[in-house]
Order: sequence, then C-alpha cells, then structure tokens
Amino acid sequence: MASDIGIRPQQRLHPLSWVFVLVAFVRQFIVPLVAIVFFGVRDDGSLRGALFIVPLLIAAMWRQWSFRYDFDADSLVIREGWLFRNVRRIEYRRIENIDTERGVLHRLLGVAEVRLESSTGGKPEGLMRVLSLDAVQEMRERIFEQRSRATIKATVDERESSQVLLQLSPGELLRYGLIDNRGMLIIAAFFGLIYQANLIDFSRDTLEPMLRRNWPVVSAAILDHSALWLLFTGIPLFLVFTRLLSMGWAVVTLYDFKLTRQVADLRVSYGLLTRVALTLRLPRIQAVQQTQSLLHRLFDRVCLSVDLAGDSYSPQEQRGDDNRKRVRWLAPVCTPAQATEIIHVALPMLDPETVPDWRPLAPRARARIFRKTALVFLVIASTPSFLLVRYGLPLLLPIIVLLAWGHAVTYTNHTRWALTRDALLLRSGWLTRRLFIVPRNRVQAVKIDVSPFDRRHRMGTLIVDTAGASGMSGPLHIPYLEFETASRLAQALYRFEVEPEPAITSLPDAH
Amino acid sequence: MDTHRVDPATISVWRWEAMIVVVMLSLGVGAVSLLRFSGPALLLPLAAVLIAIVVAWRLPAARYEALDYAVDAAGICIRSGVIWRSHLSLPRARIQHTDVSQGPLQRRYGVATLKLYTAGSRYTRIDLPGLEYDEAVALRDALTARAGAGSGV
Repeated sequence: MASDIGIRPQQRLHPLSWVFVLVAFVRQFIVPLVAIVFFGVRDDGSLRGALFIVPLLIAAMWRQWSFRYDFDADSLVIREGWLFRNVRRIEYRRIENIDTERGVLHRLLGVAEVRLESSTGGKPEGLMRVLSLDAVQEMRERIFEQRSRATIKATVDERESSQVLLQLSPGELLRYGLIDNRGMLIIAAFFGLIYQANLIDFSRDTLEPMLRRNWPVVSAAILDHSALWLLFTGIPLFLVFTRLLSMGWAVVTLYDFKLTRQVADLRVSYGLLTRVALTLRLPRIQAVQQTQSLLHRLFDRVCLSVDLAGDSYSPQEQRGDDNRKRVRWLAPVCTPAQATEIIHVALPMLDPETVPDWRPLAPRARARIFRKTALVFLVIASTPSFLLVRYGLPLLLPIIVLLAWGHAVTYTNHTRWALTRDALLLRSGWLTRRLFIVPRNRVQAVKIDVSPFDRRHRMGTLIVDTAGASGMSGPLHIPYLEFETASRLAQALYRFEVEPEPAITSLPDAH
Repeated sequence: MDTHRVDPATISVWRWEAMIVVVMLSLGVGAVSLLRFSGPALLLPLAAVLIAIVVAWRLPAARYEALDYAVDAAGICIRSGVIWRSHLSLPRARIQHTDVSQGPLQRRYGVATLKLYTAGSRYTRIDLPGLEYDEAVALRDALTARAGAGSGV
C-alpha cells in the first residue's frame, strides 16, 4: 500500500454539493431554526433570525471545498478538512456497498448522495454529499472492477443471474400502507411540530371560534353533541383518515419497490420522490425475520426484514445520519410463498428440503406465563387511575384470570423453536407472529440466562448473538426453555465449527 | 470438558473494591443522617451500613464460587453470577481480538481480567476476571492460536 503522502486526491464533489450539505445541516437544526425564524418575525417584523443560516452556509461551502477523493491502485482515498486534515483509505475489496439516494432536488440537478459501506463498523465508511451521476458510475466501475478481478464470481454472466425476486404494484403498496398505519405517526409528528413551534393555540377558547368560522357544519355537529359525535363519527373518521394517509405515504415512499438478485448481491430500490438504491451483500446478512400481524393475516401477507453485519444500533455513530436507522426490508409486504422463496435466496446456506422439527417450550412455561401476566394485569388494574373500578374488582378478577390464561395458552402454543443442520429457527407470539431464522454459521456467542425464578423451575433463557442483531429486537431470545434443553442447544450452536453434524440427535425428544 | 476456577486472590481484589464503594457511600449517608436525624433514628443508617459491609465481605466469595470456565477445542465457556446466573459460550473463531488488563488493585494481587472481543452486537466484549496474570496470558494465547482462519463474521 502506498503511503498517504504519496497520493494527492484530486477529484472533487459536485459543484453544487454545498446546497445539499446545507440542507442536511438545516435538517439537523430544524427545531431551533424554526423557532428562530418565527421569534424573529414576531419581535420586529424582520427576518433577522434567518441570518443564522450564514455560518451554516460557510461551513457547507468549506466542506465542499476541502473534500477530495481519488482512486489509488488498491484503495479509495478520501481527504477531508484542511487544518484538521483526515485522510482515509478504504481498500476496494473491503467496500461492500455503494448505496445511492436521490431526492427530488438531487434528480433535478442530476446528482446522488453516495454511501460507501464496508463489512465492519456501524457507520458508513464514506459519505459523499453529493456526486454527479457520471462520477457515481465511474466510482462503481473502478471499485467493482477491482473487486471482480479479485473474485472468481466475475465469470458468472451478470445478466443471466439477475433475477427480480419481488416487485410491488401500487395495489400491494396500498395494502402495505393499510397494514402498516404509519399515518398515525405522521399525524403525531405534525401536531408535535405545530405544538412546539407555538403556531396554534390549542385552548378551546381559540379553537372553537376558528372551527365555527371555517367549517360551520362540521363544527356545529362536533361541538354541540361532542361526546356522542366523537364516539360515532369522530373516531371512525380519524381512523379512516390515518389509514388513508399511511396508504398515500406508502405509495409515495415505496413506489416501484423492487428486490432483485444479482450474482451474490440483493439490490433494493424504491421511492417516488426520493429514490433509494441499496445493495445487500449476501455474506453480510446475519439473520432474517418474518413478521405477521393480525392485519397481515387478514390479507394473507407477511413482512420480511434482515439483520446486516455492522448494522447494529450505536447511537453515537449514527447521529446526523438518520438513514441508517431505516429498517432493512427485504420485502415490506409479500405473500408467505414469496417470503419463503426470498428467505432461501437471502440465506443460501439453508437446505430447502429440510423440514424443521418444531419443539415447544418447557411444559411448565404456560403456568409461569399465566402467573406473570395475571400479576401484571392486577398491578395495572389496581393503579390509581383504575381505582374507580375498585368495587368492580371482584368482577374484574375473573376477566383478568381468563385473559391471562388465554394469553399463556396461545403464547405457548404458538412459540416453537427448531434446530436444523443449518439454522436455528424460532416462531413466537400469537397476535403478531414472528419467525426468526439465524444460520448456525452466523452465531457469535451463545448465552443462557438463569433468573432466580428460572432456577426454581429449572429453566433458562437462551440468547443467541449475531453480528447484526438490530437495536430494536436485539439478539434472538428463547425464554422458558428447560435448562437441560437450553444447555444442549447452546452446546450444539457453540460446537458448530468443530462438529457441525451430530447436534440434532443429542437434543432431547419433543414432549 | 473440565472446568477451572479463577485465582482465589481475586476475592481480595473484589473485597477491596466493594469496601471502597461501601466507605464512600457510608460517608455520604453518614453526613446526611447526622444532619437530619438524631437519637434512635440514627440506628437505621447505621444498620444499613453494617448490612452493606457484610454484603461487601460475603458477595466476592460467592461470586468466586459461582465463577468458572472451561476451554476446549471449540472455544471457551464461562459460568458466572450469584443470583442471576449466566452460561456463556464463545467459539474460538468468533474472537476478534483480546486484552489482558490489570487495575492497580489487581496488580497488587497479581490477577488480571481477560477481555475477549467479538463482532457480535450485544456481547461485543466478554470479560473473564480474576485470572492469575500468567494464566490469563496463557489462556489468551491458547484461545487465539487457532482463531486465525476466517474473518469471524
């Protein structure tokens, strides 16, 4: 490798990069900026507050001017800053993805935001805001030309092995929006912003005349018979509205969602206004999760997502780069049959012929879950806000017992695990059903946690850590296992590298 | 697979550490109680401090009893925890890099902590405390000797 002084990076960002850097800055400071602008207006009628944009503008232009990159023989060189200079070298063979993102503005100006990712670390190795499309193409060619020369896979014909795995029609997207119900979040965010910025006074004194003035019929109906109307029209209308909103949101953000397979990569692209193109390298896929909520079942659909190596949640590194928190979808919505097909592409080590031998939790798990749930319900029912129903407690008690028993029975009936030759599988939950698949060669560490309650019942929780367990769900947990079973399972996973074969036979029989 | 205990000298290290914490907390509690309470009410914080001292004395020994490890061809298994117990198994191939670290108290008693780093997401660092220093180094060498192949991801 040449020394860092040896090469002077010459390539620059796109001349209009400062616009996008500025937009990114402004987005980070959106709340204080909005406040500044509005307070500025109120104080003396001028937009003096907006002057705060000037230092940001200077910073943005400075960043564009001081950013250089170039292609060395075996690595990409990026130089940032001038006084505090940072020169970074990324070897071509370590670059896994070149992801691009293009919003409306990007598309108007013919540029793209580029992220270079390697297999390690939670943060993209290089973020280029922004490059012209030609520069992106050149970068793709330079980097992947080097890589394909190094790997044998290059002999495979690209076109032949390119295969569309999933393409979502607008109808499917509407279905997705209906199931996902992101509209509620949008509305919450909207009101949050308005409230923060003090745009509208939410007290009834100001709201009521405004409503009467603008929507006389509706407001008369709502305000004069408030309680009943709210119950019978307001709430259903609100629900319908949020669903419609989220359907619209789904169509716009995921428009023309396409999952394709290209040699050893999965490519995902979607978006109407902001067009996103992602590459998921198969070796980076650590685990697959299939989710099916109540609404999913109604439409006979599921949702598939993946954990990628180096993708795990680390708040420090992700600040200012919100795109990293995006769920890694393989398929936001698809039929169960499609899901099975995609899973086998994403995890090629799985043997499609293997029928998992599903096993239940420990027999006493049901009683433990029942006691725990009943206790939680009781605590909730006896909190101050529920003291109103104090005299109803005798009435409430049978309901609590019934609910807790129902939950315990359905939960234990729906939770099953299986160890095949290639993977550990877990099905869990009954209202929202999840299927986790962790290939055995992706297991990092295995742990059994035994709480004092577990010890009394000779049980344990098995925790299987992988390199990409996401921040939300974390590593795979299998609770309420017979301790004996858990330790044999742990041993089988732990010994995979040295003795991959015999593990299944050493497991105890299903009860 | 035979299990090994760590060096009993680590009990002293943990006792010292626990006692330092207890002394610091007691000073705080003592100062506040002398200002706020008087007479028999002072017995309460006194009892709390006494209980803390007993726990600080007894817990390290229990922790030592609960901690053991086993090394085999596949990797290392560590059992630990007094009330909440855990059994952790880490394959050799998953060890990214290792540290042998010693605090001032640990140096005084000749013990060290072996830290094993993985590419995992929850258990990125696995600590095996209380090893005799030479043993920690030997264990590290034994674990990393064959871990060279593969990227560990």
